[in-house]
Amino acid sequence: MELEQTLAKHFGYTTFRPGQKEVIEAVLKGQDVIALLPTGMGKSLCYQLPAYILQKPVLIVSPLLSLMQDQVEQLKRLGEKRVVALNSFLSAHEKRYALHYLEQYRFIFTSPEMLLQQQVQEKLANMALGLIVVDEAHCISQWGFDFRPDYLRIGDWFVQNNRPPVLALSATATQKVVKDIHATLSLNAPFEFMYNVDRPNIHLGRVVFEDRADKARWIVDHVKKTAGPGILYMSSRKRAEQYGETFIQAGIRAAAYHAGYSADDRQFIQQQFIDGELDWIVATNAFGMGINKADIRQVIHETMPANVANYMQEIGRAGRDGEPALAILLYSDGDEELAKFVVTGDLPSVSHVDRYQELLLQHVEPVQMLKNGELSETAFRVLDYWYHQESIEQVKARLNYFALEKYQAVDEMLKITQTKGCIREQLVGYFGQKLQKKPENCCENCGIDYDEINIVRAQEVKKVEMVAWQSRLNQLLLSD
Amino acid sequence: MFYQILLQIFQKLNNERTVSAAYHILRGKRSGQTIQDVGLFQLHNYFGLLPKLPRATFDEAVSTFLQYSWLNMQESGHYSIKKLGLQRAEQTTTFLFDGWHYRGNEHIFFARLSLIVQSLSYHKEGIRSFSPISKDVQVQSWVRAFLQNQQYQTGQIQQQLYDECLHVLTALPVTDANKQLFLYRLSGHSLPGWTWQQLSSERKETVLNSQLAFIELLHILLNEVHATEDYPLLSIIAAELRVKALLTDSAQQTAYLYEQGYSVEQIVQIRKLKQSTIEDHLVELAMNEPNFSIGPFVSYEEAEKVWQASKQYQTKKLKALHDVVNELSYFQLRLVLAKGEV
Repeated sequence: MELEQTLAKHFGYTTFRPGQKEVIEAVLKGQDVIALLPTGMGKSLCYQLPAYILQKPVLIVSPLLSLMQDQVEQLKRLGEKRVVALNSFLSAHEKRYALHYLEQYRFIFTSPEMLLQQQVQEKLANMALGLIVVDEAHCISQWGFDFRPDYLRIGDWFVQNNRPPVLALSATATQKVVKDIHATLSLNAPFEFMYNVDRPNIHLGRVVFEDRADKARWIVDHVKKTAGPGILYMSSRKRAEQYGETFIQAGIRAAAYHAGYSADDRQFIQQQFIDGELDWIVATNAFGMGINKADIRQVIHETMPANVANYMQEIGRAGRDGEPALAILLYSDGDEELAKFVVTGDLPSVSHVDRYQELLLQHVEPVQMLKNGELSETAFRVLDYWYHQESIEQVKARLNYFALEKYQAVDEMLKITQTKGCIREQLVGYFGQKLQKKPENCCENCGIDYDEINIVRAQEVKKVEMVAWQSRLNQLLLSD
Repeated sequence: MFYQILLQIFQKLNNERTVSAAYHILRGKRSGQTIQDVGLFQLHNYFGLLPKLPRATFDEAVSTFLQYSWLNMQESGHYSIKKLGLQRAEQTTTFLFDGWHYRGNEHIFFARLSLIVQSLSYHKEGIRSFSPISKDVQVQSWVRAFLQNQQYQTGQIQQQLYDECLHVLTALPVTDANKQLFLYRLSGHSLPGWTWQQLSSERKETVLNSQLAFIELLHILLNEVHATEDYPLLSIIAAELRVKALLTDSAQQTAYLYEQGYSVEQIVQIRKLKQSTIEDHLVELAMNEPNFSIGPFVSYEEAEKVWQASKQYQTKKLKALHDVVNELSYFQLRLVLAKGEV
């Protein structure tokens, strides 16, 4: 009963959501835990509540600064003052202050980079923590092995005697990723909790085309006839812009979205979409993080994403309100080739390894490769990291292995586009789960009546018009 | 607008530089050469308008100019404006940029204003938490302090800021369409801003041209705010953004020593720099400091000879002038040109 009382006292809820109680109980027993809970299902509560019972500081390692800031603000709104974010935004003075009084805080947020700093490690080694939380733990695998070496490096830090229990949290993780988390963080017989990945209200469509031109015609025709709000995922920035333009020309309230636009433009588009001024977002996979829009009715993939986990995450943005929604995966011959090309674009190649060595022999800083634009920043980071860990041959073998893994992930996704069996069963099976029950209009292969799900697009959706500057000034500052 | 600006710069550079000189001016390059060009050819208003202008965009514009027969270009990168180009340049309106005094700081002003307006808009709706439009931590903490100092919770600042914005925008010699552009880059609760793509397609122009119109408005607005005491809130938001120290840091140090009475040779020794570098600094000083006298270096008669030659031959090229007034050193010539006719 104690748990429910603490929940009511500090958070104002009377009951737990699925999974929360099991996870919290395991944490309080001192067990390591891997908890997979979807975004918006109260992941944070799994460490917030124990903090009030443990009476020792909880350390939360979070990979994204923006996420960290959100969580700090959320706690502050709940009236918690003993919370600090140790990150690169702090001035030298603020950092010294925070480190000096570190044991006084109840929640200590930090980034993997910060955790690698010696003074931070020394301070932490000399204080008693109640719990270590690794948020967005899938980054350890998805980014750790070939993207952000810093997340991999924190693994060493977890091999220490008498460390408190570790809670690894994530919204997306396959069996393979769970294994990576387990191994990298040196977890000790962790309790694993995984939510049900199936989303019965998302109906899984799939359409196969002869060629790309057919596909293009179908897309424009489809968005003219059916209602949004929807997201059309594209494989490149350029194509996102092209389709965005095509939609606008066709009288559809749409905008393109990718990481090439400025931060304020991106926020404007998100806001327009949330406020209902846009019906379609034509986006690269940069769109989605932090978008809270419950009534997204359609998610269409113009071509297959890099892997099944990404696919599930992207279609999972549909129908958060529980109402029927549609995910349509489009396929035309050769899409997998494009996907493979895209996924390995960020990997360094074997010739980059030779070049790295050559520069070192010539006493040239290898970072010159990056400055010359010979490879991407992430690729250089990966190369630079592994070059110092292993022999040349091992590095080359590793890079080949990375590429192979990425190809295999694309092939897994290809199976989804080709399967003659139930798509839902296959997707759920990919996460090591078994489908409990097939909903009506389950998937393309079980049979979907699109007309039962799609809402016909209203003809007269007016574009938002500009108003005179004086009126807008008034709207912004004065009128209600 | 971008083409017109570029054409005007080429016209002012008087066929005496390479095309790259125009690029460096637009990007606001802090090198002695560019700073001197700004003073020599009176290009202050265009300095640093587009600190991030990609070279490719610039080169594209130049090749368009070649295609239109506005420009001739030599292998060395030197150019000459053709008759058609000159005609075009004459037709363009005068822009009211003030790049020299803002150098990109106008965007800091706008980032502050955006976050203030957004905060007030959400506050009006009783919403305390929202995703801030500016992710810049410095801007965020600046705005937080500003709002607290202004006691925004009493609700008076909304009305005052509205009045000041209405007042200043009404006063500006700018089209309503450009004022609309300014307002649609601001956002608030249920009032998302418009992206540059959306705005430029509405205005039927390129994104770059919309952005330039926006920058021009900001410069005019900031100058208006600085010129009077009618806008107390906007003055605070614009505080410290107008560039006062017009010299490069190194020139600043030389200027200090020179004012202490040290000679050029002594400064060379103290600063352990080349004489030519110190001379560059003095030229920069001559250009920017109205009180700096070139008297210790050239006589009035000598200076007058240079001005006359420059007028007679329609040139500011040092080599050409040196041929005519060959008793003066290049350093002396540059000082005279930098100071401008008295």
